[in-house]
Amino acid sequence: MMMPAGGGGGGGRGGGGRSWPSTTSVSASGKRIQKEMSELSFDPPPDCSAGPKGDNLYHWVATLFGPPGTPYEGGIYFLDITFPSDYPFKPPKVVFKTRIYHCNVGSSGDVSLDILKDGWSPALTISKVLVALRSIFTNPDPYKPLVPGVARLYLADRVKHDEVAAEWTLRFAR
Amino acid sequence: MVAEENSSRSPGISGNPSKKRQEIVENGQNDESLFSPGFRSVAAMAGWDEEALLVASLIVEDTPDRQFKQKKRTDLQSLKTPPTNSRRKRRAQRRSPASIPVTILDLDEDEPKSKQEGESTSKEETAIAEVEKHSKVDEEVDAKSSGVSSSTPSIPCLDRLREELSCAICLEICYEPSTTPCGHSFCKKCLSSAADRCGRKCPKCRQIISTGKYCKVNTVLWNTVQLLFPQEVEARKAADESATETLEEPSQSRTRSQHTRRSRRVVELRSLESSNNSAETRRNHEQPEQRIRNRPQSSRGDVARTELPGQDRDAALALRLQREEFMEAFTGPEDWRGGSLAPATARANLRAMASRAINIRMSRGRRD
Repeated sequence: MMMPAGGGGGGGRGGGGRSWPSTTSVSASGKRIQKEMSELSFDPPPDCSAGPKGDNLYHWVATLFGPPGTPYEGGIYFLDITFPSDYPFKPPKVVFKTRIYHCNVGSSGDVSLDILKDGWSPALTISKVLVALRSIFTNPDPYKPLVPGVARLYLADRVKHDEVAAEWTLRFAR
Repeated sequence: MVAEENSSRSPGISGNPSKKRQEIVENGQNDESLFSPGFRSVAAMAGWDEEALLVASLIVEDTPDRQFKQKKRTDLQSLKTPPTNSRRKRRAQRRSPASIPVTILDLDEDEPKSKQEGESTSKEETAIAEVEKHSKVDEEVDAKSSGVSSSTPSIPCLDRLREELSCAICLEICYEPSTTPCGHSFCKKCLSSAADRCGRKCPKCRQIISTGKYCKVNTVLWNTVQLLFPQEVEARKAADESATETLEEPSQSRTRSQHTRRSRRVVELRSLESSNNSAETRRNHEQPEQRIRNRPQSSRGDVARTELPGQDRDAALALRLQREEFMEAFTGPEDWRGGSLAPATARANLRAMASRAINIRMSRGRRD
């Protein structure tokens, strides 16, 4: 069951390499990413961490801790963040590497979060994205689901949903 | 400085009344105590506002001559110096060391007296006194600022200011900040590229930005940024310049090659022109009446007249070259360095044209 995560990681790295063209905007985006990195290390948002995976500044890995009071409590979630070359004018790509039972996170780890798509603004930062991701742990949005079954269960039987989510947390996120 | 102030505030130390009053003036923290009401009214009558006075005092402060005199004046007021024949000093003495303090201008007392002397002298006097007072004020301000300057490098809220004045897009200090209609400020460049690539809405609040208006530099903000973070601004400027330099390197070499090509073309044109010249002279020979008509004029005028067609062609060539120059200088926005190159090429071209004109004239002279 851990296999998809590892395989996905490899694929993500490949994708990161592909979306790293050496154009003139690299320096501007690179500068901004470096700035965000230092700011994150200086003042990280609660229960989050993020940083470059290796030498590539455009490929980060982030961790989120399941917030207490949710079925995700106690889980540690790894995410891959890939910055486009024209960051911050285009949103970063965020993919969950740890499996999670959540109506807004697809089976391949893709997230349906408005600010990561049409709602992106260059004034947003990774730290804000992490805060937003943390907020979908506490407040899933079943009306814009990526996994309709989970959303249906969430709306119909919240207790059952939370039970399953807690079990997934125990199985995949520890 | 604080200790000094405290000591001067304590009444025991300042014995002599004039000195005390002076110290009161020096201790004055605001303008109200710096300008006596009488002085103010006179300044208002003269049409000077306080700002102008301060500026004037600043200028006066800069001149060493005035400082020198002022030093003497302070001497005058503390020790009773022997009389001099300088008019100004005499006047100062008339106002007398101890009885009337020099630093505070009691215009209510002064004015009737000076009115007796005449309007002009009164104005002069007030001007002098005022200048004096202002140099004093200036000194005080200097002292204050020097006292503060020790603490200016560490403005307590500098970090917060840095945060406030940084651009949300590049996360650096706003470089040439531009403010949206909704009141959010970003670097001009960042905002324009955000508008280009993410749609015309404010990156902060997503309000629609009307086209065209948003790309003006907010001068107040820009000046503030430059004042508060000169190093960051300089660094950014240098970085921008080096970036454009590396970007422009190939285009610059291209313009250079174009330049050489163009100069070659100029040479070609010159040879063409010289071959035309013979045809032109032939044409001139074919129109004897015109030449005859020109005879009565001075020889110099004659030369000018006969060279007119050549000059026309020169002008045409110059125009063409100039046009090319402009086209090259302003073809692309990335070509701004070419603009600095353009004057050089233009100069070279002009020089070539001048030499050609001289050559033609010389050959004409030989022929004539």
